[in-house]
Amino acid sequence: MKFKSDEIASVIQKEIEDFRGQMQTAEVGRVIEVGDGIARCTGLSTAMSGEMVEFSNGTRGLAFNLEENSVGVVILGDYLRIQEGDEVKSTGQLLSVPVGEALLGRVVDPLGNPMDGKGPVLTSERRPLETAAPGVAGRQPVKEPLQTGIKAIDAMTPIGRGQRELIIGDRKTGKTAIAIDTILNQKGTGVICVYVACGQRAASVAGVVEILRENGALDYTIVVASSSSDPAPVQYIAPYAGAAMAEYFMYQGKHTLVVYDDLSKQAIAYRQLSLLMRRPPGREAFPGDVFYCHSRLLERAAKLSAELGGGSMTALPIIETLEGEVSAYIPTNVISITDGQIYLEPDLFWKGIRPAINVGISVSRVGGNAQTKAMKKIAGSLRLDLAAFRELEAFAQLGTELDKATQSQLDRGYRMVELLKQRQFGPLHVADQVITIYAGTKGYFDKVPVKNVQAAEKELHEFIRTEHADMRDKLVEQAALTDEIEGALKKALEAFVARQASKV
Amino acid sequence: MSDQRLKTRPDSVLEDPGALAVAGLYARSYLTAAQQNSIQQPQDEMNSFVDEVLVGYPEFAELLTSDVISREDKLGIVERIIVPRSSEFFANFVRVLIRHGRFGLISLIRRVMVKIQEEAAGKRRVGVRTARSLSDESKRLLSDELKIKLGFEPILQESVDESLIGGLIIQVGDTVYDSSLRSRLKQLSGRLVEKALNEIQIGRDRFSHPERD
Repeated sequence: MKFKSDEIASVIQKEIEDFRGQMQTAEVGRVIEVGDGIARCTGLSTAMSGEMVEFSNGTRGLAFNLEENSVGVVILGDYLRIQEGDEVKSTGQLLSVPVGEALLGRVVDPLGNPMDGKGPVLTSERRPLETAAPGVAGRQPVKEPLQTGIKAIDAMTPIGRGQRELIIGDRKTGKTAIAIDTILNQKGTGVICVYVACGQRAASVAGVVEILRENGALDYTIVVASSSSDPAPVQYIAPYAGAAMAEYFMYQGKHTLVVYDDLSKQAIAYRQLSLLMRRPPGREAFPGDVFYCHSRLLERAAKLSAELGGGSMTALPIIETLEGEVSAYIPTNVISITDGQIYLEPDLFWKGIRPAINVGISVSRVGGNAQTKAMKKIAGSLRLDLAAFRELEAFAQLGTELDKATQSQLDRGYRMVELLKQRQFGPLHVADQVITIYAGTKGYFDKVPVKNVQAAEKELHEFIRTEHADMRDKLVEQAALTDEIEGALKKALEAFVARQASKV
Repeated sequence: MSDQRLKTRPDSVLEDPGALAVAGLYARSYLTAAQQNSIQQPQDEMNSFVDEVLVGYPEFAELLTSDVISREDKLGIVERIIVPRSSEFFANFVRVLIRHGRFGLISLIRRVMVKIQEEAAGKRRVGVRTARSLSDESKRLLSDELKIKLGFEPILQESVDESLIGGLIIQVGDTVYDSSLRSRLKQLSGRLVEKALNEIQIGRDRFSHPERD
């Protein structure tokens, strides 16, 4: 079908004829001083805290400080084009972002403007950036698992839907990788993901988007990107924007996952704003309300009650520590807000243990509630095994002669550590994880040389998939290690061990 | 020493709101004090002092605002030069300003005072921005209309801004009533873009929900 030219012209003509411009009434002020992403304005006598204002060139701002004679406004956009004396209009609205299905698969800035060149975001719905978290009655306990696809996490620090699990570690320890793996693993589960890049290098954000696209994860993911070259106010609002976009789906009864990468950069952006606004500095020069800044954000993660649709929002905030300093201000704050943390260590990372999770001090306060029955059954012994192993490992390094029982426990430990290693972007289904960990803890890998354990694990998965698919299907379906399945699994593993032995 | 004054800071486009607040305080106090002492037309002396003395002799104004000269010396100058030539009431006001180090605000105080007196007389300033200068007839019409609508005597402060294209913008205090052609065109273009976006979305929906066609 072709458009006729008069058809288009007539549509526009009619539009113009029918147009009745309304007189616009607004409360205005003027900019007294501007710089570093903030402006001080006179007038705006009716402005409310957190209200959106508009500068004469169309840039938006947020009324941040209400003072006796002036209003401090943070500028969400290019502040270099705003001058002293410019008019600033109050809008009577809170800052909001577009939300809805149209955002899925898109890369947007924290104000919801598309950045991926795929045309406008076509949605009529908007949500205020800051909304109150659901109350006590609106929630229910976290009990559904959110599978990350990472063995070490799903087995020992399980994450539930609606939980807030902190990923903390030094730079270059694989924090983002864990978050990305978790997003990749949500494929086909109906969980909608939001990745908020806050103060990241634009190149690494582009890299993340590319990985998501390659793995087909972008279709259910929204990327909210604010790079480190964006003004501080934009970086500050990015996590709230991501939360608002996820909340929309949560209140529709859907499950969502939000990754805040990372909150230490957001705290730094907020510190910059606060200091420029002349709010008094506190510890490490952060303002007094930096705790509230994070707590109100993370409280929005919830598992809603059945009356509200039972949707959930799981939050994975990321914090970057300096030289392993977890007792700094922001890390301690966020640790105390979240329901557990996954602690990544550079030493482990360089030893080749990747993901470099320190399972000893990583915890999940939701614990076993958020695990499938099968995983719960086998993970308990894994933790104990590893704890015993770590105690013994110190002895082994001294070169002391060890009795047979101790030696075998050590050998088991080495193999378990190998089994918990996992390559990046290779999330495993929970059934495969159960098979691996079961085989490891029951000693089916004991005969395999330590350096071959990972290859053997791969072979095992292939073996089970090809020759014992019915048992695996049952395990996937029931998600519990019933006697029947356990028996079948044992048989399969014995057959596997026999085959491995015959190969040598 | 060169004649040109050393510029130590860039010119401000707007007044400092803090200074404005302080000036308001002094202006109100001046007027109240004048009323209590039953002094008629207290603004006359202030006007002549600012317009004739300070504007006519900028060096004198600089002398009184300079930080180099101590307050005692400034007060001495006031005693010798101003007191013999002014009323006791106004001289006292100048003394207070000097003692508080606020003499630099005097022209601002004068301006705020004019505004306060206007408001007391039921008049308020109304900014009118138009694309072309208004004729006397239309000014009168506008003024009458505003008086009925706003309930006070408007003092029109006109300015011409060709970028408005047509129509006018009226500002009363912080509130702006914008019915310029520029903002209407902006509204219209927004409306057309929105419409076009809707058409695009309908086109997309046709592919994703083919059963509707």
